Amino acid sequence: MIAMKEVTKVYEMGNSQVLALDNVNLKVEEGDFLAVMGPSGSGKSTLLYTVGGLLTPTKGEVTVNGTSIYQLASRKRAQFRRENVGFIFQTFELLPYLTALENVMLPLYLAGASSIEQEDAAKEALDKVGLANRAFHKPAELSGGEQQRVAIARGIVNNPTILLADEPTGNLDQKTGNEIMQLLCKLHEKDKLTIIVVTHDPAKAERANKVVEMLDGHIVTNQNSKKWG
Amino acid sequence: MCLRAITFVSKNLSRRKGRSILSSIGLILAIAVIVSTFTISRSMEVQIGDEVEKYGPNIVVTPKTQSISVPYGNVVIGNVTIPESSVEKIYTIPNKRNLRVLSPKLYGQVQYGNNSLLLVGIIPDKEVELKRWWNITGSSPQNDSNETVVGSAVKLSLGLTIGSIIQIKNTVLTVVGSLSETGSVDDYSMFLSLQAAQMLLNLVGRVSVIDVGALCKDCPVEVISQQIMDALPDVKATPVKQAVETRMKAVEQTANFSLLLASIILVVGCAGIMNTMLASVHERMREIGIFMSLGADNNHLYKMFFFESMILGLVGGLVGTTVGLISSIFFGPLFIKVTINPTEIPLYPIPFAIILSTSACLIASLYPTWRASKVDPVKALKTV
Repeated sequence: MIAMKEVTKVYEMGNSQVLALDNVNLKVEEGDFLAVMGPSGSGKSTLLYTVGGLLTPTKGEVTVNGTSIYQLASRKRAQFRRENVGFIFQTFELLPYLTALENVMLPLYLAGASSIEQEDAAKEALDKVGLANRAFHKPAELSGGEQQRVAIARGIVNNPTILLADEPTGNLDQKTGNEIMQLLCKLHEKDKLTIIVVTHDPAKAERANKVVEMLDGHIVTNQNSKKWG
Repeated sequence: MCLRAITFVSKNLSRRKGRSILSSIGLILAIAVIVSTFTISRSMEVQIGDEVEKYGPNIVVTPKTQSISVPYGNVVIGNVTIPESSVEKIYTIPNKRNLRVLSPKLYGQVQYGNNSLLLVGIIPDKEVELKRWWNITGSSPQNDSNETVVGSAVKLSLGLTIGSIIQIKNTVLTVVGSLSETGSVDDYSMFLSLQAAQMLLNLVGRVSVIDVGALCKDCPVEVISQQIMDALPDVKATPVKQAVETRMKAVEQTANFSLLLASIILVVGCAGIMNTMLASVHERMREIGIFMSLGADNNHLYKMFFFESMILGLVGGLVGTTVGLISSIFFGPLFIKVTINPTEIPLYPIPFAIILSTSACLIASLYPTWRASKVDPVKALKTV
């Protein structure tokens, strides 16, 4: 489903260059729950955003369902993101001036959905993450865990095929973090979503069925997790 | 309830209310100056146009060929005359609706004792309408009568009073009124009815000159003059260049200067809007990153920022127009001595000002919007 072929990403930092991805090859099958682990600066997030169509690689090819996404024009690539990808971030990235419901509506607005479609789908997504009763609260009125649930609802509201989560539990306490991981597992099992999660925490990574470890822009191990054997 | 482009614009503007207002001040000021310039200069034109009537004739119709010559005011009167029926013909010109008053006159010099008098035959009500500055003590002469009104110098030198009788040739004239001093050749003239003058000078059915008062605020007086000459090939119609034109020119120059000033303020105002929008793009970098990660393309961003600047422009235009109109009504009479009647304010500057302000804002937002579309979403989210 997702294939990275000899993908290299170099960041230009003033006069110096930083190699974030070095000739990476990776395949993710439909319905996989992949955890990407590794120390800071190992290229985990770069890999995630490259798969999500947000970060053009310096070299190599990324295909999703047979489409080479960086050969698409930028408008088509934006459409690809709208229709296929849901993003979840460590710092939630909700718009502070919108209510939880409005934040969840955002991808639907961008896709040009009607007002009824926006409201119905956003309510359904909030219900799925157990936050139907907090729909009209602004992010500042919600706890960290609740904010991340809203972000997850926003990530799945467009029925994407891939959910990409960048350290989704990084800003949460242990208990809330586990709840969020549990929610992601539930979405993976119930909705058959393909999920890629970047995490530092081996315990969290164990919930995935595949784990990839990165170091200095390379994939050093690629294996099934202990849980799934 | 749903999200629309307006949701983001209104929420963003209300979040940054203070800054939006501050950045719009330049724009509001420029639009206010433009609107008040239009309003005041239009009112000045109307006022000057009204004053045209007080300045007397602005076209003098005389015979084409003139022999020499009695100077009368600005024109030189010869002894060649034109038929009185020319008056009717003048009323057939295309711009006849602009003709306010036509006053035919017959001039003649007569001997009275040792004095040489300038006789002027007039249609009294027409002449009085044309020369609104005339101040007659007594009454004006009746048509078809042998009554006369004398200029102040004539009255003084001949020792005339109302009721005095003077005989010129075989005609006995009764003085029924006298003119207060005008500072013109009228002070040395004797006015009597056109018919009486024609009889006295043996020029029945003839006139020396036709003074034309035309309302020429909206039409060039030269055009009317030409039309008169087209209708009457034997006459010369001379437009009288008056202070009115000089004043109109002054109004035009002042208006042009104000508009130049307003243009400069508008450019500065636009720079303010552009600066605020650039700051807004910078501040909303993360938001732009979120939008892009959720699948926004350049069109979504263009729509959002253009919409925001359009709203700023519309509101700035409306507020500026209101400020401009109110300030011209209140300050026009105070500083420029122009009374502005709210019911006579021209409406065309309003849509013009609003369109101008909106377009200026849209132009000012081009660069910030382009910058927004070039934001790298991953850098914006500062996640890598």
